[in-house]
Amino acid sequence: MLFFSFFKTLTNQTVTIELKNDIRIRGTLKSVDQYLNIKLDDVDVLDLDKYPHLSSVKNMFIRGSVVRYVVLPRSEVDVGLLEDATRREAANQAGKAR
Amino acid sequence: MSFFGFNTALPRDRAPPGDQRGIFDAPDPFAEVARAQAAGLQADDDDVINFEDTYDGLGDQLDEDQDEFNDDTFGGGGDTSGVGRDFDFFGKTAQVADVIGEEQIRYGLQKPPGLVMPPAAEAAATLAAAEAAAAAQKPKRSGYEKYEDPGYIPDLQAKSSVWSAHKRAEPSFQGPSLAKKMMSLEEVEAQMRQHPTAPPPGLSQPPVSLPQPMPDLSHFQQPLQPPLPEGFPHLPPEFVQAQLAKGIPPSQLLPPPPPMVPEHFPMPGHAPNIPLHLLQNAHLPPQAMTPPPRQAMPPRAQRPFPQQQPQPPVIPQGPRAQANQMPMVTNPQQLMHLNEEQRIAYLMEDARRAKRNHKIFLLSKGNGLMTPQDKNFITRIQLQQLVAAAGNVADFDSEAVLSEDFYYQVYSQIRGAPRQHPHQPLGHFAQTYLLQTGNRLGGHGSRRHGNSADNHMQRMQQQVQRAVEAAKQKPKNKQLIIEGSLGKISFGNAKAPKPMLNIKRPDSSEGAKTTKKAHADLSLSDRKSILTNIEGVYSALMELEDMERTMPPPPDENDPEAIQQHMEWRQKVRALNQKLWQKLKVMEPIVPNTNHPHPFIAFLSCPKGKKAIPRIFRQIDQEQRVTILTMIVVNLDTLDVVRRAQLMPGETQLSLAVREAIELFSQAVMPSLLGYVNEAPFNIIIGLLGLMIAQTHVELVAKTRIGLGILTMLLSRAEIVKEAGQATERDWQQWVEKFNVLFDTLEPIFPDLFPQSINAGDDMYVWQFLAAVGIGASPEQQQRLVISVKDRVMETVTYSKTLPADMASQRLGNVNLFMRAIGLDVELLG
Repeated sequence: MLFFSFFKTLTNQTVTIELKNDIRIRGTLKSVDQYLNIKLDDVDVLDLDKYPHLSSVKNMFIRGSVVRYVVLPRSEVDVGLLEDATRREAANQAGKAR
Repeated sequence: MSFFGFNTALPRDRAPPGDQRGIFDAPDPFAEVARAQAAGLQADDDDVINFEDTYDGLGDQLDEDQDEFNDDTFGGGGDTSGVGRDFDFFGKTAQVADVIGEEQIRYGLQKPPGLVMPPAAEAAATLAAAEAAAAAQKPKRSGYEKYEDPGYIPDLQAKSSVWSAHKRAEPSFQGPSLAKKMMSLEEVEAQMRQHPTAPPPGLSQPPVSLPQPMPDLSHFQQPLQPPLPEGFPHLPPEFVQAQLAKGIPPSQLLPPPPPMVPEHFPMPGHAPNIPLHLLQNAHLPPQAMTPPPRQAMPPRAQRPFPQQQPQPPVIPQGPRAQANQMPMVTNPQQLMHLNEEQRIAYLMEDARRAKRNHKIFLLSKGNGLMTPQDKNFITRIQLQQLVAAAGNVADFDSEAVLSEDFYYQVYSQIRGAPRQHPHQPLGHFAQTYLLQTGNRLGGHGSRRHGNSADNHMQRMQQQVQRAVEAAKQKPKNKQLIIEGSLGKISFGNAKAPKPMLNIKRPDSSEGAKTTKKAHADLSLSDRKSILTNIEGVYSALMELEDMERTMPPPPDENDPEAIQQHMEWRQKVRALNQKLWQKLKVMEPIVPNTNHPHPFIAFLSCPKGKKAIPRIFRQIDQEQRVTILTMIVVNLDTLDVVRRAQLMPGETQLSLAVREAIELFSQAVMPSLLGYVNEAPFNIIIGLLGLMIAQTHVELVAKTRIGLGILTMLLSRAEIVKEAGQATERDWQQWVEKFNVLFDTLEPIFPDLFPQSINAGDDMYVWQFLAAVGIGASPEQQQRLVISVKDRVMETVTYSKTLPADMASQRLGNVNLFMRAIGLDVELLG
């Protein structure tokens, strides 16, 4: 749930998502779910000339499994907190595994 | 639930109240029922007055003794079940124009002249006459006999005309039909005979719906109703109705009164039509619902006309066939007087009514099967499953929420981001749901059955609570092994999606751990164990911070329980503090002359460790802080930011990593240390300076930014203490002693403290240190100091003249910091 929790804090931020088919899409993150499916608004496809069929797409829902990278706005990430959250997650996982 | 479906199927019936309608043009029948129930007509002890329940027990109000005619009215049960529900009203409406022609053909097809039929089928086949005949001739007629004829085609499309074109005409029939309702069939027929060609004045299409109400109600009302005089229907309908509404007995309106009218219409207006209609239906004895034999009939026989065409064995014969049929009708005159259009309209009406009755029957089949208690029980089961399925235990437990969703929760708190869904998934949902159910249960029910409604609510809530509790306690079974299955079925939910891999951890992990531990002990300072230590510190730290969050409110002195709670909490905090302290390994013995630095110094050499210091300092007491400070001071030599910050010969700049480490140290650790030093008693400062001189290579330390920073810290604190007059004479003597040693040690290297070149960047920390030294120095020491750094001062002043104004003033300001400390000013240097 860490990534879900993390991406939730990025809603309404501008992120760039690179898909596994190399399409990169910049847009406003509207929502994420626990599968890390992503809803993007005000979509902007980078290298649009390569993907003209996306030129009229204004918003989209991206299945989480096809995402390769999400480029985040650095200022919106609280690294220390994220580290702590990661520790907690690890502790939780360890607790569950046992 | 299918009632809802039914309800929506009758939107046309929900005409505005002022809209007059025919007797069987029921407005939403269930609305009427509900209204009647709400008005307290129903004595059912059902506390859930929702739509599906309103039907229950409705029949209680009816006179049971009228049951015997139900069959007549509604047929032998599922008579009409074959009618189907997929009527395309709209589409058929569009075809109304074609209906006439089609009807004619259909008649021809349906009733070929030579066809021999059993009497009943014959009667049924002649649609219009069928019902009249049924009522008149047979004591036990359902009125749906025509459906028993496999050749009979329910006229579905025709119905549409009722909704559209013919709607207009309806109001005018109302009066007559209202009146006629009381008439027996014979009377109707007689009346028809009497006025064969003269429809009531003012009716545009009188016969179209004129027969409509007759058969239906006359069936069950026949025995109760004395004949109405023929003149009765000719009264203006509105007038009759209005008079009835006013409660004026019909006897005063009409010479021969229909005695049953008041009894059957206790309520004004045409509202009662519908309940009556429905009540009758609801009241059907169960045996009346048994499917009739006709159900076996091929379904397509019931489809709309066009598909029927191939079916009839005889070629359509048009009007002649129809003419042939007529004599078979029991009361042929009745239909004879109707023209084609009217007949069609009648058929439409008939089919529509049949369909409606059928629908009501279908829907009412399950009436009363479930008590409200049953329904509540089901609801509770559903709720429980909802709770269990979502695995939302967390939502009821803020602790669990925090552990599952830590980053988001804390981040939102820190940044003040709006929490869109505080406890979103189910907790919220379940509550909403409960609330709604509560309204539903309590809303109406409280009027009469407040107690039992509350009771239900309570039980519902208890049920949910228990479900939640159970879900909490039950260890979550993530896998299901069904007998005979080839593998495990693992199920996931929203919170914990199904794991793709199931890696079984070796149970021997304990053993692995012990060996690891031994290893860790062997090399206490290798990188891996250092990182492990740091993580240990962090976990202890987080536990401590968690404790902070759960701190009970400050205890009230009069409340022993609160005090007790507080004491326990403090106890726990203390234990955790000890844990943290141990993990920090500050108290590990200092082993002289080893290759490995002290564990705590190793801890500090990691960025993670440095970052932890501010948080650690928040959690520990003064004594522990001074211990840490002492440890740092003593081990300054080995501290990475000092050790690696020595410039090698030929180097002009430190490596990036080191510079970053220094930056981080001065940002993360130094403020904490400074914060402590600024409050430390003087003797500790003296002790620290002494330790530094004794234990470390001051010359080396002083050449680094961090080392110099710590020295500055100590010197300035001493000066502040002295200025404040807090230092005793003996302490001061001690301090001066130490200071002199330091000064003498550093005097030769004062010029070397600066970064190599004048333009290498920030040298402010050096000027700060020199200023701190200068303040504390004796006049003679100050002179020596000035001589030592004179060159650098002049260099900087000259250099600053080549710089832009703001940078120049900054550099000069740095120099001036020192110059003023010894009573000089850069300005003097001109």
